[in-house]
Amino acid sequence: MKRFFVLLKHEMKLNIRDMNMVIFAVLMPLVILAVLGVLYGGKPAYDGAPFTFMEQSFGAVCAVSMCAGGLMGLPLVIADYRERKILKRFRVTPAHPALLLAVELSVYVLYCAVSLVTLALAAGLLWRVHIRGSAWAFLGSWLLTMLSTLSIGMLVGGVAKNSKQAGVIASILYFPMLVFSGTTLPVEVMPRAMQKAVSWLPLTQGMTLMKNTFLGQDGGGTLAPVLVMLGVTAICTGLAVRFFRWE
Amino acid sequence: MSEAISVCGLTKTYGSRMVLDHLDLSVKSGTVFGLLGANGAGKSTTIECMLGTKQADGGTVSLLGQDPRRDRRALFERIGVQFQEGDYQQEIKVFELCEETACLYKSPADYRALCARFGIGDKLKNTVKSLSGGERQRLFIVLALIPSPELVFLDELTTGLDARARRSVWKTLEDLKAQGLTIFLTSHFMDEVEALCDEICMLKQGRAVFRGTVEDAKRACGCERLEDAYLMLSDEEERE
Repeated sequence: MKRFFVLLKHEMKLNIRDMNMVIFAVLMPLVILAVLGVLYGGKPAYDGAPFTFMEQSFGAVCAVSMCAGGLMGLPLVIADYRERKILKRFRVTPAHPALLLAVELSVYVLYCAVSLVTLALAAGLLWRVHIRGSAWAFLGSWLLTMLSTLSIGMLVGGVAKNSKQAGVIASILYFPMLVFSGTTLPVEVMPRAMQKAVSWLPLTQGMTLMKNTFLGQDGGGTLAPVLVMLGVTAICTGLAVRFFRWE
Repeated sequence: MSEAISVCGLTKTYGSRMVLDHLDLSVKSGTVFGLLGANGAGKSTTIECMLGTKQADGGTVSLLGQDPRRDRRALFERIGVQFQEGDYQQEIKVFELCEETACLYKSPADYRALCARFGIGDKLKNTVKSLSGGERQRLFIVLALIPSPELVFLDELTTGLDARARRSVWKTLEDLKAQGLTIFLTSHFMDEVEALCDEICMLKQGRAVFRGTVEDAKRACGCERLEDAYLMLSDEEERE
């Protein structure tokens, strides 16, 4: 465990020095929250809704940092380390690939956690957003959505040939999910046919679950999305470790 | 004296080009072995195939009695490596790189003492990229010694160092050898090879053209300086 925490400490510092993720995983979600706050304030989600639009969108805004970290940050950092032959240096040490992946994964888990806390504080203080469901259920769905999104990134980073390839795959995954899964554009404002289509994106499952647990409403079963996300996490993590490329 | 490295029939081809042609090497524990050869002769490929970072097409490698690919994690607890092109995280500082390396081993050496010994003790808080070429080279030797290894690989160990720094690196390596460290190095500097190596192997296009002590090489060619012997041995091949 000592090696894990020493590596995590330094990798976290390096990542913060780089500033990219501070901007995209912590500041950007706050900006999106502020824009929504200015536009919708305390308005109800729809006429006669028992919750506000902001409350309905809170889960989605939390997912911005997951997308930034899991689909841009994590795969690029691992692919970059491979290209710069940093992984090659680790290869001639006793380090296990799972150790390195776990460290980089944890860096982005921390970003997501910081983002969740800052968003909750800002939304609660400025727009009186309050959780209406169970906090534990919401945290559980947040954790699951985060881990499944990050595990996709870990798989991309773990097996991509170089950072260029990782960048292309990351963009293909990142932008559609960011725009269409309801992270930036609420699913509710999309046309019906489009809502149907985006429900197939893996992140949409987690977003719906986060929304329902936050609002404390029963949104057509939790078992299916939980199983889907657990499956994605297990498969992606397993493949990333199994097919890890040092060079 | 036991064998630290045993290489048998090591062969590697890139496409149709044979870069290593049935190479045999044997290095005794506690000695310094030098692998010589022109650029592109196959020195780095030899090291990479021995370490398992490149897959050889044929032959067997045994390091400290273990298989570098099968016993990777146990073996690299006891082996230090300095690659020719050492790279590092963009913004990392010297002490951070040392700590990231040291934490991977069960009983690492004190990196502060090693850095001081190699004359970069006052650079711990500097970023690695701000170091001069020579300082960075010494840092990568420090990283290879952090495991407190029984066997260390140094690929072009003193390239980029000034005369004084080279001498001090030699001195340190001699001290470590006296403590029982086995050293496998490559170098283009014949004075260095003469000063450090107990045995050498000269590579030419992936084949060993000479194996033995520095004295053997000089005697075989009737030369006083190793550099002349080296040039003669590689030239002779060319004429054939």
